Amino acid sequence: MHQTKNARQTTQTKPSTYLNEAVAIWLRDLRSEFRTRYALNAILMFAVTTLIAVSFSIGSFRIEEAERPFLYAVLLWIILTFSALSGLARSFVKEEEAGTMDILKLSARPQAVFLGKLLFNLTLLGAMELIIVPSFILLMAYQINFPGFFIAMVVSGGLGLAAGTTIIAAMIARASARGALFSALSIPLLLPLMITAIKGCERAAVGIGTAGWPEVKMAVAYVIVMVIMSLFLFPLVWEE
Amino acid sequence: MFTLNVSGIGKHYGDALLFKDISFRLNLGDVFAIVGWNGSGKSTLLRIIAGLVRPSAGRIEMFCNGEPIPKESRRQFVGMVAPALSLYDELTGLENMEFFCRVRGVDCNRNNCLEIIDGVGLAEHATKTCGDYSSGMKQRLKLAQALLHKPPLLLLDEPGCNLDSKGIKVVEGIISKQRQLGVTVIASNEKREADYADKAINLSE
Repeated sequence: MHQTKNARQTTQTKPSTYLNEAVAIWLRDLRSEFRTRYALNAILMFAVTTLIAVSFSIGSFRIEEAERPFLYAVLLWIILTFSALSGLARSFVKEEEAGTMDILKLSARPQAVFLGKLLFNLTLLGAMELIIVPSFILLMAYQINFPGFFIAMVVSGGLGLAAGTTIIAAMIARASARGALFSALSIPLLLPLMITAIKGCERAAVGIGTAGWPEVKMAVAYVIVMVIMSLFLFPLVWEE
Repeated sequence: MFTLNVSGIGKHYGDALLFKDISFRLNLGDVFAIVGWNGSGKSTLLRIIAGLVRPSAGRIEMFCNGEPIPKESRRQFVGMVAPALSLYDELTGLENMEFFCRVRGVDCNRNNCLEIIDGVGLAEHATKTCGDYSSGMKQRLKLAQALLHKPPLLLLDEPGCNLDSKGIKVVEGIISKQRQLGVTVIASNEKREADYADKAINLSE
């Protein structure tokens, strides 16, 4: 018991900030994911399977050249969105399934939990985009005339996907039919972002109408609105 | 000086009443037991005190040196052990402690964490993943987690659950030391655990 006494002399001297808490949650989630690979496997399996299916069934020669910019943008964002939907809900669902939700509620502030989970989903989505987007471009011989705009669109669209799916994942974590509910709630919320991202990627491929980067600005605005709203709403979702 | 004030707490799920009008006040050094049959609401009352469940009626107040503690800050004052609270199975015992230190803002290095783990008798198993722990070892780690920020309010739901005689001694030592640090509330069916308390409430009555 002497050791217990010593151990309890540990004192709280560091003020805990939202960022410190969020980073701790993010690093813990990354470590857990690195060991279990639940979400990463789900996302990559879906993404690679659909990518291969699309590239074999459609390829680069079955579409008229004039239609390619639009159709390729649609296919790319369908793959990215549905791959994200297949794995990003895990960030909260795994806490509920493992029974760790309550201990996290007792340890961290709600906004820090949201930010930590958002960082984790951004990391997963970033890794997915790094694999899927170059593969899609290669397999489909995707011609992009304005690569800077295209990259900005993929990055801002990815941020929007992560922000949208993180708050919905929190909302559905305690529901019984989580999978169906996650898709049902995500699609209407993500639809404006998808339409914007598709339009942006089409413009990047054609190389016309990109002045002022309107779609990128719209996607960034979507991210800002979604994150701010989520920070306000998340405590209501998180607490019973 | 820490004070817990529970006044008029009630909880019902739909039309089913679990308990009503529970009131008590605890001060530094108090050990309080909540006893009752299975399903009488012991764990729910503990979860209400912890802020994990909203009561249907009444309010929970906490005071530090006479000053009320705002609801959003209370988690810093509460340490909880319960069968339903799980730790991260894919992390080691040491990694779990390091995570809870970081997230709670406790200034705690690896040696401090090891010392805390040693305090509950898990030093040899600190680098094993929790998924490989026995249920008794997990319970000991939960105790360590609840204590690392030295909370003035310690909520113990069946603290001796799955513990061997050495583990029970650890629990006894923790409750005894908590008398100097704050308040302990124990929810249990075990007479031995209820006997640690000076005061008790029976939710079955």
